Amino acid sequence: MSGDGLSSGTPDGEWLRVHPASPFVRGWVALAAIGYFFGRDTFERMLRGEPLVDDQIAGRAPWLVGGGALVLLLAVLGFIMSWYFTRYQVAEGYVRVNTGFLFRQQRQARLDRVQAIDIVQPLLARIFGLAELKFEVADAGESAVRLAYLRIDDARQLRATILARASGAGLDPDHPEAPAPEAPERRVLQVPPSRLIGSLLLSEQSVVIVLGGAASVLLSALTENRAFFLYLIPAALGLFAAYWGAFHKGYNFTAAISPDGIRLRYGLLDTQAQTLPPGRIQALKVSQPPLWRIFGWYRMQVNVAGYGAAGNNGEAASRTTLLPVGKIGDVFNMLALVLPDPGTDDPLRVFRAGLSGLDSDGGFVTTPRRGRFLAPLGWRRNGFAATDTALLMRSGRWWRTLVLVPHQRTQSMALHQGPLARRYGLADLVLHTTAGPVTPRVIQAGVDEAQALFDHQAARARAARKRQTSEHWLAQVAPIATLAAPDGTQDLDQRSPLDQPRPHSPQQEGPQRG
Amino acid sequence: MPTAAIDPPGITWLRVSPKYVTVRLVEWAVGNLIAVGLLSLSLVFVLLGWWKWPPLWLAVTVPAFLLVLALWRLTLIPRQVRAIGYAERDDDLLIRGGIFFQRVMVVPYGRMQYVDISVGPVERGLGLCTLKLHTASAGTNASIPGLPAEEGARLREQLSARGEARLAGL
Repeated sequence: MSGDGLSSGTPDGEWLRVHPASPFVRGWVALAAIGYFFGRDTFERMLRGEPLVDDQIAGRAPWLVGGGALVLLLAVLGFIMSWYFTRYQVAEGYVRVNTGFLFRQQRQARLDRVQAIDIVQPLLARIFGLAELKFEVADAGESAVRLAYLRIDDARQLRATILARASGAGLDPDHPEAPAPEAPERRVLQVPPSRLIGSLLLSEQSVVIVLGGAASVLLSALTENRAFFLYLIPAALGLFAAYWGAFHKGYNFTAAISPDGIRLRYGLLDTQAQTLPPGRIQALKVSQPPLWRIFGWYRMQVNVAGYGAAGNNGEAASRTTLLPVGKIGDVFNMLALVLPDPGTDDPLRVFRAGLSGLDSDGGFVTTPRRGRFLAPLGWRRNGFAATDTALLMRSGRWWRTLVLVPHQRTQSMALHQGPLARRYGLADLVLHTTAGPVTPRVIQAGVDEAQALFDHQAARARAARKRQTSEHWLAQVAPIATLAAPDGTQDLDQRSPLDQPRPHSPQQEGPQRG
Repeated sequence: MPTAAIDPPGITWLRVSPKYVTVRLVEWAVGNLIAVGLLSLSLVFVLLGWWKWPPLWLAVTVPAFLLVLALWRLTLIPRQVRAIGYAERDDDLLIRGGIFFQRVMVVPYGRMQYVDISVGPVERGLGLCTLKLHTASAGTNASIPGLPAEEGARLREQLSARGEARLAGL
């Protein structure tokens, strides 16, 4: 019933239902509330050894029981109806979902527009071996398609099918109904729990807590007033919740690579498995809070269309995290996955310079010396560098960040200049990208450099767009031999990037599906 | 204060209609006169002796300051309107604006998701319209105000056609 058809091979276009238990897994809170409401009193009486029903309302007991049963029945009936009317279909390049019996809703999403696909298992669903499938297309709002719940094997199978169709891997003509095999994957990195705990203890948040604690102790010593410690209790609870959330979401973080893209898995009680198909990452940020420098840890966040902006809820924040905490080797591993072709001869040197370098090492162009009054700390660090495939922007002397935007993902750009910047001959370049935690901005570049970058970046983005011919990532391959770029990242790309085409992404061409 | 443009060199900008000054003047009047008027109320009340607080000097200074600020912004409006420009290049549209806080934006045709034309009441009276481009990024705040209606329609058709020809994925 529940997508059993999938595992036995589904012909295109068959409408399937989610698992019958799903409304109960989703609505268990409502059921528990009903049970609690009607059962609490009786239960308490039972414990006290009193008669099950109060004498005063004994006469009305049948009505009460009947009412409770009716509410329960209605709830269960609603669950069954919602299950019965929720159906989905994967066919003809679309995934369609019908829901609702009073207010019907039909959604369809184009498979080749898939931006990311997640399998989420809340604790209860995990106990029953169920999973929710979330399918994102380019829309910052809610998920395009949510299927809750499928059996975990069916969810994986459906994910494999959707990704296979989306990638453009042709189906076997002899067996068109054969389910797509799940793409093989290779684990790239895992975050040990000890490092996760350490990263939380050394995060910006902890610094604020220590400072706040010291301030309140000082204040209480000075004013000899102990009362306001009471007000700190809710704050402490909130902080505990925040730490717990971060720990819970980052626990057992594993990244793997497969032909379908990057797979991320994490979660202590609720587990989540994200798949980011190749080329879906719009922008990437590597950051390092000051205290993390002791252990050389970094954090990576990404913008993916459909994930939306982080910050409005914890879910988006965890979904946009590509690496909660990792050493420099992990960062390079992930960068290699995101940007298989770094577009430069010496990627290690360039990225190292982007992460921790100063001045012009690694080919970065920094704020000119005349701008040092506007950015006394950062002027040697704020800078940008362009490789053949991406633009790198670094900033922050203490809060080091490196932002990377692939050329073919650039949406639009703007040069900004305020009166003060004009006084020092500086300008900012803002790259617009989809909603997310990363906001790419070249800070305080010299006007001439900024103008040149503006022009060249427009040209590079144009060339990159022309190379990207298809949304099917297995199809969009420009198989031309990689030429050694003699000037790497040094110049601002005076030649047209079309003169030296590179393969779109060498890693993605390799493992074709069977 | 030097106000050298930060535009890339060698671009001939198309300017918006000078009639757009009127639209901005109306917006200015509605916004600022109401604000100044509301803040002057306290001055009136103090002068009438109804209010003990604020002191007279404060009741005079605040609206006067706002009035000066508003008048200064009034004098800027014609220059600001003259500073708005756009240029259609082969593969992208350039939009510029601002004098003190300058902005030059490039929107590739292939990135445009859709094009809006909106007409407010004042604009309708003057035969103007505002064209807005949307990309997948919310940060693309690309609008060209004060276009003559027929120019707006032409530009929309032109942009749609070019966008279709060069449409790229996300």
